[in-house]
Amino acid sequence: MQNNADAAVMNFPRRDARDKLLGRTKYTIDVGGSEVIHAVLLRAEVASAQVLRLDVEAARSMPGVRAIATWEDAPGAHGIGIADHPIFARDVIRYHGEPIAAIAAETLEQAHAAAQAITLELAPLPAVLTMAQALEKDAPLVHPDWKDYDILFEGAARGGNVAWEATVARGDTDAAFDRPDVTIVDGVYRVGRQSHVPFEPRAVVAAFEDGRHHIQTSTQVPWTVRHVTARVLNIPESQVRVTVPAVGGGFGLKFDCSLEPYAAILAKKSGRVVSLVNSRREEQMTCLCRENAEIRIRSAVTADGEIVGREATVLMDCGAYGGEQVFLTTMTAHTLGGNYRLGSVRLSSRAIYTNTPPNGAFRACNGVYNTFALERHTDEICDAIGMDRMEFRCRNVVGDQDIGATGQIFEGNVLRPMIDRMQALCAKHPNGRENGQRLDDGRIYGRAMTVGTWFIFVGPSAATVNLNVDGSATLVTSGVEIGSGSMMHALPQIVAAGLGIAPEQVIVKTADTDAAGRDLGVGGGRTTVSIGAASAAACDEVRDKLLAVASEMLQTAPEQLVLADGRVEIRGRPGSGTTIQKVVAEAETRTGPISGSGAFTAPGIEAMPGCAAGHFIDAIDIPVFAVHDCELAIDPDTGQVEILAYRVVQDVGRALNHRAIHGQIQGGVVQGMGYALHEEITINDQGCFDQTGFEAYRLPLAQDVVPIEFDLFEGAPSCGPLGTKGAGEVPILNVGATIGCAIANATGKQVSQLPLTPPRVLALLDGRDEPLALDHISAVWSNNTLRR
Amino acid sequence: MTITLTVNREERIFSGDPRTPLVDVLRDHLRMTGTKAVCREGFCGACMVHVDGAPMASCLLPVGSLDGAAVTTIEGVATMEHLNAVQQAFEDHDVVQCGMCFPGMVMTMSRFFQTNTSPDRDEIKAAMTGNICRCTGYERIIDALMSIRTNEVTS
Amino acid sequence: MDITPYPKLFLANDLNEALRALRELADSAIPLAGATWVMRAPLRCETADRTLIDLSRIEALRTINIDQQEAVIGALATHEQIANALNGYNDLAALAQAAGHSANPAIRRMATIGGNICTAEFAAADLVPALLALDARLEIEGLDGSRTQTMAAFLEARATRAHTDLLTRLIIPRTQRTSTHARLTLRKAGDYPVANLSVSIALGAGGKISAATVAVGAVEAVAKRWTGFEEAIIGHAPSPEKMQMIAKTCLEEFDGRDATDAPGWYRLRVLPGLVANAFSTLQETTLGRAM
Repeated sequence: MQNNADAAVMNFPRRDARDKLLGRTKYTIDVGGSEVIHAVLLRAEVASAQVLRLDVEAARSMPGVRAIATWEDAPGAHGIGIADHPIFARDVIRYHGEPIAAIAAETLEQAHAAAQAITLELAPLPAVLTMAQALEKDAPLVHPDWKDYDILFEGAARGGNVAWEATVARGDTDAAFDRPDVTIVDGVYRVGRQSHVPFEPRAVVAAFEDGRHHIQTSTQVPWTVRHVTARVLNIPESQVRVTVPAVGGGFGLKFDCSLEPYAAILAKKSGRVVSLVNSRREEQMTCLCRENAEIRIRSAVTADGEIVGREATVLMDCGAYGGEQVFLTTMTAHTLGGNYRLGSVRLSSRAIYTNTPPNGAFRACNGVYNTFALERHTDEICDAIGMDRMEFRCRNVVGDQDIGATGQIFEGNVLRPMIDRMQALCAKHPNGRENGQRLDDGRIYGRAMTVGTWFIFVGPSAATVNLNVDGSATLVTSGVEIGSGSMMHALPQIVAAGLGIAPEQVIVKTADTDAAGRDLGVGGGRTTVSIGAASAAACDEVRDKLLAVASEMLQTAPEQLVLADGRVEIRGRPGSGTTIQKVVAEAETRTGPISGSGAFTAPGIEAMPGCAAGHFIDAIDIPVFAVHDCELAIDPDTGQVEILAYRVVQDVGRALNHRAIHGQIQGGVVQGMGYALHEEITINDQGCFDQTGFEAYRLPLAQDVVPIEFDLFEGAPSCGPLGTKGAGEVPILNVGATIGCAIANATGKQVSQLPLTPPRVLALLDGRDEPLALDHISAVWSNNTLRR
Repeated sequence: MTITLTVNREERIFSGDPRTPLVDVLRDHLRMTGTKAVCREGFCGACMVHVDGAPMASCLLPVGSLDGAAVTTIEGVATMEHLNAVQQAFEDHDVVQCGMCFPGMVMTMSRFFQTNTSPDRDEIKAAMTGNICRCTGYERIIDALMSIRTNEVTS
Repeated sequence: MDITPYPKLFLANDLNEALRALRELADSAIPLAGATWVMRAPLRCETADRTLIDLSRIEALRTINIDQQEAVIGALATHEQIANALNGYNDLAALAQAAGHSANPAIRRMATIGGNICTAEFAAADLVPALLALDARLEIEGLDGSRTQTMAAFLEARATRAHTDLLTRLIIPRTQRTSTHARLTLRKAGDYPVANLSVSIALGAGGKISAATVAVGAVEAVAKRWTGFEEAIIGHAPSPEKMQMIAKTCLEEFDGRDATDAPGWYRLRVLPGLVANAFSTLQETTLGRAM
């Protein structure tokens, strides 16, 4: 890549803003018209039951009905790691909300009426609604046939209601805990689910054209939709085409295939274009949430603050089917096992089946609660050994050549200088307040600083760049614009810099699996890094071809030519060259139109052999670090918490669009505030969520937030294009941790749970509840593993 | 039942169940999809329209009640060439993300700026209590709105 | 055989038309005011196919008149209209504030006082305790004539009320008192309150409380007067700290309800603080002006 990193840095405005502001943008939910018919899903209203009888005949003859689908139409099971998930319940219902049938009719009302006419006879079965219940001896099995399932990825332990178990063992933790010179600190933590609430719910419009399924869907992962739809329909993947209109928010909810196969089946059966959209109630009640989790961490620490041993067990509720939680067992090692140097470490991450709606991926996933648990535990260690919280962190954060939990070697000193930058940021607003101090209005002041480690989800991406005769370039990838703007900012900026043209001249094609190569999807910082890198590689190829032709035209060696301002110039002699258009025109007469393709995948950092079992990613290629600081005030009469100030230092590698990153930090931290203080999901004894809509599920409103002060830390090692790391996901990572620690610092109470809603905070202040106990997680680490 | 109402200064007729929420009449029957149905319970503001000039949640308005009313939607507050002051401020500050909340935000705040001169941040935030955004975290939206001079609002 | 001529939403031109439609259609019809509750029926999984008798064209139901004897508020007046019309009247401040801070701006523009107080399942209504504290009388009209009820009697009969008569007006006697409304939401705003409180007091010699009516909502399923607290504060200066202390001793008459938004103990636990807020507001605003 030519050295044009600076040329890529700018506050390029997004081109889709105008249509969005005018209400002209067509999201998948806006696709309609008289040719489109409407589908609904018949969903189970119990958590666990045997299906005795399913009869759709009466529904078939209802007015307007055009097609009905059941398990007979979708024989395949899909999943991550294990193929445990059929798209329709067949003999057994495993969760409240599980689809049983899909009905398409001319109108939505007719489809609902037909669904009501379906005969469904059930016999109740026992249900396990909590992980504690699921792990009891002789607990009913959510998947009695778990042994027979197809394994899609080898290496993990499984058994009973343990869908997947990933473990890490590095060094001798028994010896560490036996040392006479250590203090042992043991803590338990529990968090609830968080729902993404993208304003556009999951939605799909499917058609069957020329013998193939064409699926238009609000997704982050067109290739996953293609793959899973083909698998469950038992058809070749090449028979599925996925295109993606503008997406009205994702945050990870749309990182999985969900509604698409139902619509695809109905489109083929009816011969019509079928729209299937989750109602808001369905979206809330079957959201692929950030999972609820229970964590136990035990550490052996010397008086000097050295962590010589750490053991932890994380129980991750995957709901009725493994899904993303199977993959996410991998991320415990890199988050809970991250941040700090560890002399020895053992981790057990267990995805547990329960008869509840399946969970999924949500912006920084289990990194968010692992960071909460880890930073609470870290502050508790500081209290136990009498060390200042800042001093402990400065001593222990990982730096250059330090070894991670799975034995990977970190490059560069990043966290330590970031802590310094945070201290400089805080020093601009000294207020002399102390933790626990009463403010003038009687509220209690609290403050905390935390550190966090996350990763960029690198993986396969492909890109093609077509250079057009008018000097514009078309970038073809499977990237999707979900709102964060990387398709509108980072990608055109990277391509523009690579070709020496203006970003307005870069056409970014919307995702179409018929046009671009395979891509793991949008999320986890992938657009800027993986798709960006593939795009940069494609630009290199275009550049080489262009300069080869220009070289002959200008009688100058290619090494002496530069691309800038839409021209090919001889280095050091501006005005000496010619326009890109002329070179392209010349190239077309000689060899044909100019295009280039590029690909990117994980370079593959090494872990220490034997450390990690059942992991999808043994070592992270691009870590992302974050340091957060929070000041808050607690009302002792109500338990309400007001954030007074919030600061972020974020490891971005290189900031391509400062304004866009600001938007991601402000938005991501506010989502984190919702997670920490307001957003609660409780599951009742019917196995369904109590919070079914916006009244009960409380998102932060404008008056609940503050402007986030931030400092972007650049220069950490990164194999991303131009040294970038993705910036959109990580702002949420430390927020629960920082707010939790600040509340603990303010009150002196044991803060072990999220969300810290006003009733929970008031209960803490009043000493109303017993301290959290998780008796089903043993103090003996090996008892929390299947392979003893 | 046949209902006649004016939408963006044009007479439109709806024949169907008069209990149909206005948001569905706009989106499904008139195919004006700029107004979004997100929460359907009046909390999120994505469905805001003006009824006889007043911002209201179209998910909770049965169309039958609006016989003879004048409705303005997001499609009616500006032209493709000339955004209104609120929209222009949002574009100038590059604050839009996924975009789903913005039509409702524009409808609420356009009216707010017609009736409030030089509001401060707290007043703007209070006015936005019924407009939720999940992407932006609000503050950059407020920054953009603070930059508006009230006499430039044209909606 | 009666062939009903009514469409599924019937725009009544006057009260008689509305009452006749309600009588004729009986259980298959309900009155429609601001529509903000009725239109959320699908979210409550209510599937009944009901005709809506729309009252919004009946101008007489919207009027608000305030004179020296009473404030008369039509049942179809919206929260926003009430907040604007009652602004500045010390004795009516509880209702003005309740109406001015409920829900969010758009809902305040659409929702009516009639709907707020007639919805039996709505425990967190803000206008109900305000009307209780202000001794409101309700005028209810049927085809057979009209009657007047106190707010408390109306609430008692509310759950089993037939829809064949209609609340038309609320009449609030004017007094020399000052009043206020306080509500606790879990977020800064935009929620239904987990507890709310309306206070109306008269000050006697030495600035001590000589009379008080206090009503609490959202804590129980139906709002009610806080009689123990009303009696206990007589003779005291209305200082927020003192009122909060007294409130802590008067909580036994409530049985806090557990609901998704908050548990019952929390609603009781926050009441004394809410009392302090209410009396702080009184001190800063209306009492300050009255003195």
